[in-house]
Amino acid sequence: MRRWKWLFILVLVLLVGVASAKKLSFVLDTTDNRADEAQAIAAQLQQIGVDVQVRVWKSGVLLDAIKAGSRQAYTTDWGSAYFDPFDLGIPKLTTGGRGNYSFYSNAQVDQDFKVASTTTSDGPRDAAYKDAQQQVFQDAPWVFGYVLKNIEAASNAVQGWGPAADNSESLAGASVQGGNSLVIGMRTDQIITFDPAMYRDRDTEAVLRNMFDSLVTHTLSGEVVPQLASSWTKVDDKTYDFTLHSGVTFQNGDPLTADDVVFTFDRILTPGAVNGETSPRAGLLGPIDHVEAVDATHVRFVYKDPFPESLLLQALVHFQIVPKAYMEKVGVEGFKKAPIGSGPFQYERGSLDSQIVLKRYDGYWGDKAKLSQVVFRMMPEPSTRVAALLSGEVQIIQAVPPDLVSRLESAPNISVKTAEGTRAYQIELNNKTAPFNDVRVRQALNYAVDWSSILDNIYHGYGQRLSTAFLPSGFGYDASLQPYPYDPAKAKELLQQAGYDVN
Amino acid sequence: MRLLKILERLLAALPVALGVAVLAFLFLRFLPGDPVEIMLGDTQVSQQQITALRHELNLDQPLGSQLVHFFGQLLHGQLGTSIVKNQSVSALIGGALPATIELTLATVFIALLIALPVGILSALFQGSWLDRVVLSGALLGVSMPSFWFGLLLILLFAVEAHLLPTSGRISSTLLVERHTGFMLIDTLLAGDLRAFLDALKHLVLPALTLGVVFAAVLARVVRSSMIEALHRQYVTTARAKGVKERSVIIKHALRNALIPAVTVAGLQVGELLGGNMIVETIFAWPGVGRLVVNSIFARDYVVVQAAVMLYAITYVGVNLLVDVLYTVLNPRIVL
Repeated sequence: MRRWKWLFILVLVLLVGVASAKKLSFVLDTTDNRADEAQAIAAQLQQIGVDVQVRVWKSGVLLDAIKAGSRQAYTTDWGSAYFDPFDLGIPKLTTGGRGNYSFYSNAQVDQDFKVASTTTSDGPRDAAYKDAQQQVFQDAPWVFGYVLKNIEAASNAVQGWGPAADNSESLAGASVQGGNSLVIGMRTDQIITFDPAMYRDRDTEAVLRNMFDSLVTHTLSGEVVPQLASSWTKVDDKTYDFTLHSGVTFQNGDPLTADDVVFTFDRILTPGAVNGETSPRAGLLGPIDHVEAVDATHVRFVYKDPFPESLLLQALVHFQIVPKAYMEKVGVEGFKKAPIGSGPFQYERGSLDSQIVLKRYDGYWGDKAKLSQVVFRMMPEPSTRVAALLSGEVQIIQAVPPDLVSRLESAPNISVKTAEGTRAYQIELNNKTAPFNDVRVRQALNYAVDWSSILDNIYHGYGQRLSTAFLPSGFGYDASLQPYPYDPAKAKELLQQAGYDVN
Repeated sequence: MRLLKILERLLAALPVALGVAVLAFLFLRFLPGDPVEIMLGDTQVSQQQITALRHELNLDQPLGSQLVHFFGQLLHGQLGTSIVKNQSVSALIGGALPATIELTLATVFIALLIALPVGILSALFQGSWLDRVVLSGALLGVSMPSFWFGLLLILLFAVEAHLLPTSGRISSTLLVERHTGFMLIDTLLAGDLRAFLDALKHLVLPALTLGVVFAAVLARVVRSSMIEALHRQYVTTARAKGVKERSVIIKHALRNALIPAVTVAGLQVGELLGGNMIVETIFAWPGVGRLVVNSIFARDYVVVQAAVMLYAITYVGVNLLVDVLYTVLNPRIVL
């Protein structure tokens, strides 16, 4: 009996010893595109006594595991199309939000987000977003990361073109010295469709926006400016009226009227309206009820709940107007083979998975395109795009990998150009389970990662550090909020407070 | 009689294809990763819309009824519609297949052009410096990663020498109407010689990238089976009869030596017809490999199922062709 007592005490002493001097150790899950970064972070954390094991996954598989709540820390990213936290901070950080992979929950942040997505005036929205940023910064649900620039490159002969924050490639104003056509090397291996109701990726949109006009459009930096709509007014919190330019024609000569606009939105909002299939784009418009024609040149958007004007405008950039009469005549399949829009370029020929040739639409209502022909060539391999630009086969290329920039810059007749990115990259932490249910541990990691060395060495300086989950290009961004500084001593202190051994 | 046998073998391929399709169907669904989630990515959608989409794509049904639905469609001769691309699978694969077949044929052509003479010569001069160069060259060819070799060729021939285009199947300035999907045939049908040459130029680098690896494998087989054949008694007999040396090599030795080579080539062709994702991506070649691999990553079940069935049928077909070639090479072999 006495022997057992001693053994019991010994085990107890050992357990207490292990518990009090426990090192923080966890698994960092990542995908192949960010494996280098994850390894670098693991090495940095090692220096303050944190054991990190990096595991590389395929993204779809990792997402399943993350959602099941079985992972601790994971590299993730999320893009925003609105230049507003509406489709970034809100889905990522609202309790139970679709992209809330960190299981973060803060009632005050939820309230802020509710205000920001249902109030129609800018002042309160701005204040709500700023308050949310302060909260999120303190709670540190993630190891906040960075945003990468869109890097594109073009021959110096190309003028009137620049990369856009939303990845659109507007070629209407582009010209080429000593030529009247241009080829652009696209980053994708194929675009999805020519039917503006049936896609959701930015690459398809980049092509379509040259063929179709929208009610409003973006400048390169993401500011909303009029396109088919000359002006708009807020009737009340749930109703907006848009006035259309007159004299706009589709590329088959038909005039563009309010009926075409209503038709465009009806086929997107009505389930099963596209040959029995439902458009995947309805969600972009928020809690909309319907769209109606007031008269031939006025269109009304009616909401179920109050919806901010700036969000509606940001959404409308992404909806290309299609001709009702033509679509009804040729059907969806016919339309996909011979698409007709009201944009500066019209479809000439091509196939979705290799190259698409557009020609200038001479009857365009606005400033006519300078080039008579533009070609979108699908070139999924970055090195091939760079080679094609160097050899003069293409004049513009999308998505230049940061490590190939110097190769292009050393070429005499090529310029590399950048635009602000709209995708946030971070390391999300599972806030529900140990060790990251302790805010001190989460803050410690934010102090412990030397992002500037990672951004310089791995992303060649093309990244910008984010203080929270909000992008500098988005509405309501708090520029005064500085990111967590790199401070290993502070990180150690916090970890010690949380009961970890940091030696 | 032989035709009947061939027909019989082809019919036997059907159950194989169906079996493979069921396996593909099950394996894909046991893979973690939800097609709807992957497809929606980070777009702003409500849970309601996700549920609706899942229903529309039949993904909310139990596995058994999904399988029944799949076979129901197959019986009607339909392969279904791609989840991600919203196009019929037969159109997607039909669109990509000619590009892959064209590339495969060009690859085989280049491989034979290199492997046959090189293999025969190195067998004839076994142990010489030529033989050693061939052997180490073949080793290099087999071990070279195709993405590296392909990019090297692009840098050399397109960027530096400006001799060949970097990628794609035809220059954007040329208009070619699609009839067969084979660029070389379509340009000829249009009677456009300039476009034909342009398409041919586009074909060279990807075919070379694949062809060199293929040739390396094949040359080693040709060499070793030639060496074996040259030591056979029928060769000695032929020489003793006073048959010309050229005829001895080509008619007596090579013909017999070709059987193992045909076997290896058949396997390689079967693989090539599946498309090579890496080479197709580097050269922006819109073929089957890229389509299938991207569909696997996107969990586009419908496309992958159809492609796997196609692969099974292709392999059976190629093997059958190889068997027929055996009977041609050696009439004593019967199907």
